[in-house]
Amino acid sequence: MSLLLWLAALPCLYWTQGIETAPSLKAAGIERLCVPPERAEAWRGAGFSPVPIGEGDLAVRDLLLAPGIKARADRASATRSPWVDANGWRFLRNPAGQYVYDLPAGRAALAAAEAYAYGADAVLKIDPADVESLGRMMQFLSQLPANELPDAADLAVVDDGSAPLGEVLNLLVRRNLLVKVVKAPTAEFGINVKLGTKEYPLKEAGEPSALALKVRRQLGDEQRALRIFGSEAVIGRLTRDGSHSRLHLLNYGGRDLDGLRVHLRGTFPEGVAYVAGAGRVGLEEHTAIEGGTEFTVPRLGAYGVVDLPPVR
Amino acid sequence: MDRRSFVRLLAAAPLAPALPEALPKLRVVTSYKPAAVPGMPGPHPGRVVAVKSEKSVDTASNAAHDDVVREMMARGLCALTGAQTAPEAWRRFFVPADVVGIKVNCGGHPYVVSSYEIVAETVRQLMALGIPPAQIFLYERFQNQLDEVNYAPHLPEGVTIVAAETANRRADNRGYDPATYVEADLFGEEDTRSNMMRLVTQKLTKIVNIPNVKDHGATGATGCLKNIAYGSFSNVARTHYRGKSHTYSFVGTLASVEPLRSRTVLQIMDGLRGVWHGGPFARTRKYVFYPKQIMFATDPVAIDRLLLDIIDDERKAHGAISIYDRSPQYLKVDDGAARDADPNVNIIIREPGHVEYAAKLGLGVADKTAIKVQTIEA
Repeated sequence: MSLLLWLAALPCLYWTQGIETAPSLKAAGIERLCVPPERAEAWRGAGFSPVPIGEGDLAVRDLLLAPGIKARADRASATRSPWVDANGWRFLRNPAGQYVYDLPAGRAALAAAEAYAYGADAVLKIDPADVESLGRMMQFLSQLPANELPDAADLAVVDDGSAPLGEVLNLLVRRNLLVKVVKAPTAEFGINVKLGTKEYPLKEAGEPSALALKVRRQLGDEQRALRIFGSEAVIGRLTRDGSHSRLHLLNYGGRDLDGLRVHLRGTFPEGVAYVAGAGRVGLEEHTAIEGGTEFTVPRLGAYGVVDLPPVR
Repeated sequence: MDRRSFVRLLAAAPLAPALPEALPKLRVVTSYKPAAVPGMPGPHPGRVVAVKSEKSVDTASNAAHDDVVREMMARGLCALTGAQTAPEAWRRFFVPADVVGIKVNCGGHPYVVSSYEIVAETVRQLMALGIPPAQIFLYERFQNQLDEVNYAPHLPEGVTIVAAETANRRADNRGYDPATYVEADLFGEEDTRSNMMRLVTQKLTKIVNIPNVKDHGATGATGCLKNIAYGSFSNVARTHYRGKSHTYSFVGTLASVEPLRSRTVLQIMDGLRGVWHGGPFARTRKYVFYPKQIMFATDPVAIDRLLLDIIDDERKAHGAISIYDRSPQYLKVDDGAARDADPNVNIIIREPGHVEYAAKLGLGVADKTAIKVQTIEA
């Protein structure tokens, strides 16, 4: 992938403020902007790489949730886990979609990481106070080694296009159950979640968290390709081909984690982590255990990736 | 008699501890082997020495009297071990090469925590044996709780005061051993592991457990077992949810995991003060009471069996429902404010049977008729 294409794969900051803000953007290391078409030339002249995008273009994009956790006293959950607003399921459901975030202060960096982790075409409308933190995240993302791999999955979800299925998909991803979204049941997986069937009646979609838990127990934790210990607010996306693997770790909890234990089914050599805010870090306490591989990511802010080399 | 009084009378009557419907599957993962004589129940199963002194605490100020506490500890340890002197008694448990952890309890700050006087005397006796302060670690799970209680001014320089996590916020995991844990899916939580503190697995050779006499909303009472178990493992709050608790089997199971079980060699139940409702917290003096006693044992189950009665008797004296009460009429799920205001409100169905369950795991003696209690008035 060329550098230009690689940069284009990063989420784009939508910026409507005037050219006088250029120094603060440059100081934050942000060079690529999505701007109103009439301002594109001015930004180009200021040394930026502007992508013209009009209000109409924005309006047709799917609006995403601001990622993070929040207290939901009004909604009962099937577990003690915190309520996480995450968009990964949307990206998995429609990888070719076009998206826009409209973010309150403090969420820009995580949103950028989330979009990047799923390779989504996303535009970020942010609180200007987040320019610095977003700039740091974009710098980090732009320096990550390219490693585009297909998703690993433990089960299939048959997408009927409905809202209830979307919420089920959301909760499955939230539980770190790795899914492949398909149009029809596939023999590739032992579990095909299709709403409206005897096994997954439509009424069960009314309690999506409970349904996700049911699927998890059908699969069995020991059969899961990915387990995460030490947080209830981290969502992983595991990608791999026949040799390499990359694990994206998105921390929605809003606070840095000191040590996150990861269990992957199968045998993997020691890998390396790239953690936003810390750079390249070694993995700790790599262990082969019960048909799987475990290691600790020593520190995790909003986002990190773990790259695992081919099995020798 | 009105209906309310009648119902309370019924509630106060002895109730057979009911078993939870189904026990969760708990999987213990550890590479540590038990000692020839594991610290729990240790060399004195079913034996408790209770030393009482009216002079031990000034109930007006809540302050303990250092000299009295020292005497209580010396007499208690001598009685438990049969030693003639306090140093000789301590030598039954520790050698100069030991790295000793002192598991305190800070959750009942400000009124009911492991007393400065008991902790300081423990350190003094350990050092008198030749254990240098650098080999003594006062520990809790949460640093903010240790900071609130602030033991440092009461201890010699060089003693380490340490916690696994900065606060109860599930962000600090490196203080725990990734290879030593209990795995269980209790309520569908994603993180199904509770890991033992690295301090326990990798550094300490012996542990002194200093819990308090406290009521507990989930376990009925929190004493030796819960202090050492929930105070040495991560991710344990997950055992209670929406009025239900899995503490019945979880507390004892955690306490039985090696090396915690083998290394916890001495139980000193700080009963100078207590809290009979609203525990494990004691944010007000409303439910604080003064048993004015310290219990000594190697058997955590035996002490905790006595503790259940101490808490329940105090509750009865105040007309409160029994810790064994499981009736839904007193249950206000997750309503901490109602619980704090009214001792006849439970927020979780309590599991005092966790003590008996721990006995089944071999941690000690829960049958009261088999527990030998020696009471000393100091």
